Amino acid sequence: MTDLTNPYHLRPPIMTVKVEDAMDIMIVRDTARRAGGLLGFSPARRAQLSTAAATLAELVLKTGDAHLIHLNGVIDGIKVGLQISSETPWLAGVSVNNVMVALRSKLGDLVDDIQVIGKPSPKIFMHVWLNEVRNLGDDDDAE
Amino acid sequence: MALEVLLVEDSKTQAAQIKETLESVGLRVRVAYDGPEGIKEAIDNPPALVVLDVKLPTMDGFQVCRRLKRNPATQDIPIIMLTEKSGPQATMSGLRAGADDYIPKDIFASEHLISTLQELGILE
Repeated sequence: MTDLTNPYHLRPPIMTVKVEDAMDIMIVRDTARRAGGLLGFSPARRAQLSTAAATLAELVLKTGDAHLIHLNGVIDGIKVGLQISSETPWLAGVSVNNVMVALRSKLGDLVDDIQVIGKPSPKIFMHVWLNEVRNLGDDDDAE
Repeated sequence: MALEVLLVEDSKTQAAQIKETLESVGLRVRVAYDGPEGIKEAIDNPPALVVLDVKLPTMDGFQVCRRLKRNPATQDIPIIMLTEKSGPQATMSGLRAGADDYIPKDIFASEHLISTLQELGILE
């Protein structure tokens, strides 16, 4: 069935992990790595993807309910990327801006973009694009 | 001749486990038990790969990684960080330090490590 809320066209891989307990976070992390590998992400970028997916999994696990984490390839014009998403009905009625600030605060620069779409049951979509050269920032460590 | 890996890990138990994984795919492994020793080993006798723990005495793995990536003698050596710190900030710190991969020590760690070794051309 077509997901009308999805902002991008899907392409393989299409993967889903059910998150019910802490062990599933490792499964999500592993699945994100595999999905990233299938799309051609480098090992370093796969580390980013897996951490972002695990962070979302940890977040939804805190609600106490089982959630599905979707790890899908997506296309936007010439860009190919990985989409990490989950339905978050518990966010219904919460300001999207507040959700975005909280997610960005938690995820930092791990993902290229975050979207919260859909009423009455919002979904969180996070994307990491393959074709973009990402700046990891300056080395700010003082030795 | 088998390629050599420098493993920087302070826990002797974990070092033995990781060493076994690396040797099982035909690599030779040298172990350094803290950051300064790891840096000295890498400079004196550059390995094909460094596998680096984050939590180390004296100098943490992020600092070791940065030092190796800033030194012309060692900057081209691939570094895989193998760590218990798996959150967003730790991951980004590892990647910013120049690590080629950042792998949490979980049940999939060995599999991911070997997969990355293949990707980096350390294994065929």
